Amino acid sequence: MLDTLIAGLLRGNVYALGAVGISLVFGVMNVVNFAQFSFFGLGAMLAWFFVVQLQQPFWIALPLVLAICALLGLVINVAVVRPLAKYLPLAAMLSTYAVAQILDNGSQLAFSAQFRSFPQVLPTSNLHIGNMRFGTSDLVMLGITAVVMIAMSLFLKYGRAGRAIRATAQDQEAALQMGIPVGSVQNVSFVIASGLGGLAGIFFSLYIGVVNPVSGLNIGMTAFVAAALGGLGSLVGAVVGGFVLGILEAFGIYWFGDAARQIIVFVVLLVVLIVRPGGLLGKVPLLSTEPLTGTFLGKGRPLRIPRWVWIAAFVVLGVLVPILADTYVLTTGTQVLVYAIIAAGFTVTAGQAGVLALGQAGPIAIGAYLSALLSVHLHLSFWLALPIAGIGAAVIASVLASPIWGVKGHYISIATLGLGIAIVALIQLIVPQGIYGIPVPSIAGVDLNTPLAYYLIDFVVLALTLLVMWRIRRSHLGKVISSVGSDEVAALASGVRVRDYKALAFAISAFFAGIGGSLLAHQYTYIDTTMFTMLMSLLVVTIVILGGVGLPYGAVVGSIVLIGAMELLRFTPEWRIIVYGLVLILVVRFRPGGVLVRNS
Amino acid sequence: MARNTRRIAFAGIMATTAALALAGCSLSASANGPSAGASAGSTVYFGVSSATTGQYAQYGEQFKKAFDLAVEEVNKDGGIDGHPVALKYEDSQSDPKQSVTVAQKFVNDPQISLVFGDYSSAASIPASPIYTAGKLLQYGFNNSNPDFTAKGTQYQWSSAITTSASYTWTADYIKKQGIDSIGVTYLNTADWGIPAFQAFKAEADKIGLKITDAEAIDPTSDDYRPSLTKAVAGNPKAFAHVGYGPDAAKLVTQLRAIGFTGTFYGGQDEQSFDGTPDAAGSVIGTEFVSTSKAPEVQAFVKAFKKKYPDEKEVTLFEAGAYDALHVAVAAAKKGGTDRAGILKGFQQITDVPSVVYGKLSFDKETRRPASPQLTPTVLKDGAWVAIEG
Repeated sequence: MLDTLIAGLLRGNVYALGAVGISLVFGVMNVVNFAQFSFFGLGAMLAWFFVVQLQQPFWIALPLVLAICALLGLVINVAVVRPLAKYLPLAAMLSTYAVAQILDNGSQLAFSAQFRSFPQVLPTSNLHIGNMRFGTSDLVMLGITAVVMIAMSLFLKYGRAGRAIRATAQDQEAALQMGIPVGSVQNVSFVIASGLGGLAGIFFSLYIGVVNPVSGLNIGMTAFVAAALGGLGSLVGAVVGGFVLGILEAFGIYWFGDAARQIIVFVVLLVVLIVRPGGLLGKVPLLSTEPLTGTFLGKGRPLRIPRWVWIAAFVVLGVLVPILADTYVLTTGTQVLVYAIIAAGFTVTAGQAGVLALGQAGPIAIGAYLSALLSVHLHLSFWLALPIAGIGAAVIASVLASPIWGVKGHYISIATLGLGIAIVALIQLIVPQGIYGIPVPSIAGVDLNTPLAYYLIDFVVLALTLLVMWRIRRSHLGKVISSVGSDEVAALASGVRVRDYKALAFAISAFFAGIGGSLLAHQYTYIDTTMFTMLMSLLVVTIVILGGVGLPYGAVVGSIVLIGAMELLRFTPEWRIIVYGLVLILVVRFRPGGVLVRNS
Repeated sequence: MARNTRRIAFAGIMATTAALALAGCSLSASANGPSAGASAGSTVYFGVSSATTGQYAQYGEQFKKAFDLAVEEVNKDGGIDGHPVALKYEDSQSDPKQSVTVAQKFVNDPQISLVFGDYSSAASIPASPIYTAGKLLQYGFNNSNPDFTAKGTQYQWSSAITTSASYTWTADYIKKQGIDSIGVTYLNTADWGIPAFQAFKAEADKIGLKITDAEAIDPTSDDYRPSLTKAVAGNPKAFAHVGYGPDAAKLVTQLRAIGFTGTFYGGQDEQSFDGTPDAAGSVIGTEFVSTSKAPEVQAFVKAFKKKYPDEKEVTLFEAGAYDALHVAVAAAKKGGTDRAGILKGFQQITDVPSVVYGKLSFDKETRRPASPQLTPTVLKDGAWVAIEG
């Protein structure tokens, strides 16, 4: 027991440091900062570079790494995040994702992708309690965390800048009117958060012993959950959340095994959010502002699209491309179309109901597995398995998601993110091995397995999807769902059962995610759980945001841009992801509401 | 509005029907890949589908270095009967979404007569149907998942030992050391860790090696202490890990931190594991030992370090890729440089000189190396050395 407790404390320490940075930026900017995750990996690699490559003592490397991370944080805020946060927090969030991609791949170009063994700076196993060994290194880490936390809280309580940070976090507009330079406050917060991220990265590598440029992602996600657990915006909460999560995780793994780790994290998060909707130490938001809901009228309106454009697009995608394109373009096209189907279905959740669900990989995986299992074991035809996959994904995802609709604000995004990861982990427990030989679609015994056939099938499904989405938007039901997204309080006051409509919107999106998953499974003919990653969920969200959150046809444009661009950028392999990130930032910069949305 | 809907639906059906009609019968794959071939003196191109960015980029880098060295050597010796060899690299990030488009790109490129890759089975297997339809040989030289070839067609070949073979060997070897109980961790991955562990367990049960506890671990986790405390609770004599290098590096460090002192059977010849202090004394069976005295191994290691002076270690990843290129060249010499010729060549070649196996022959049925040998090695001072006797 004691062993597990100590293990939990040590990992909680790292989560706590990371969570404080995330909470700090969130508090003053209302932006979830994905770039924070990259600072873990970057801090670790920089420390490795100074200590191992340049042979500097650790105590010189430490402040250097913190300074570099802090400076980078400042640059990112000034250049990317702040200009966008003014328009739309959502656009800023998307751009932090792009920045994270650039940082990770830049770090990989600089340090190569190799895993490196991190030097032992202090003894790591010279002390023990019972069987559990730990070292001076671990004690020093705990000590530094304690000092940093005490200094931070004193600074926030008594320092001028610290008080300004708190004021900004409480009410940005009021703070501005009281003469607080909100811009500088945000810069300072970003600098502190980035520095803390770098520090967490160093500690993490000291504790784990092995690092590579992308090893911060997982720990970053867990730190993010810890921040939510403690209450976003609450720094004490972040520390408490970090330690609570670390300890519960350690005991959970001891009892249920590491394979269940992600499910444990999600269940802990869910239970806390149901009992205390604002996190352990956060305030319960009375009037929640969800990341996607703007003011009553929203920040922009869709570009008017003349009817001939529709017909032209239909002819180009449905007739000209299949006739003229070679199989490479068609294969890329099938990927674009499948993601367009998933994303178009997602607009009803993200755009209309205003719920930024971050876990679409979950329902996609349910659809893929259902369809694969039905056709492999029960020899069901693809044409039957496809709709069943959609319905199954909608039903199963809705049942699993049912507890989260009472959760408010950003927490609902975090809960769905956890849900997506937990669903995939659950599938892995039920179907541990990959599924082979998934039959391809066929008509009258003829296999439809050419790129052209896949393309046409996907195209027809996409056309149907858009038709359904368009009908839903124009129906009474669609208007009610939109009212939930536009102004939740007004909708509630008008007698709309907000929770139920959010759940319904999610079920509709899950249906199309399941359809997309089924299409992917029958084209790949092989699936395993490593395909349904968090990056897949983020891709769906990015596509939707890029096209304009409420526009199903925008999802098609977003999908063409995001998946097509990855292929177009093949001419520069090493820089591909970095250029991709830059393109994303530029698009968001000039079209913050989405490509097809004009600023109002 | 209903009128509008009907109109759109009608237009959709018309367009689709038109497209179907125009496309004729090409909806069903009848393997109409372009005929690949090289006229005299022209360059022979092989494709490489691997990760140059993303989480598996480390392996893409290692492959590329070895491939480039091998290509250089082949071309210096006159290429394939006078045809120089060149590679075309495409980044798939070992992501199935991209490996299928890469596969299609290679199939469409008439110059490509063979493709190496992909790195992970989860990216290779979804691409296999496309290579098969294009009659293009997919040489997943490091795909140790048995199903890559077993569930594939005559176009999927691999020179890697299957995980089931190598972990069956590991269980036997551990038992031979007089060890009767063992704690185990394995990666909880569908395409690799789970099948590998099942092979290990089946053999252990057969030979009476007692597994005191087996813990599945998530490859994205970093802290394995809670799992490890549980895995060693039954006081096993030794510990085995079914996994790769970076996860084994974390694992062995934490295993020592919780006070376990038995032999660690696991790890991989890879920079982070080799450089981990607690990894010293770990034992694995491997096809390739860079410290081997065999002349072909020494020549390869020397040439590699000469070309890449910064590289301190030469591992199975580099050796496997280096071998793979030579195997492909040998096949092209035997059967011809076009797609059909390469396939014929793979079916015919025997005893190809190899730095990994000494001499490599394929089992025509399994499309894997015939009776491969593993050498027990121990990690000493950051390098793996063969255990004598």
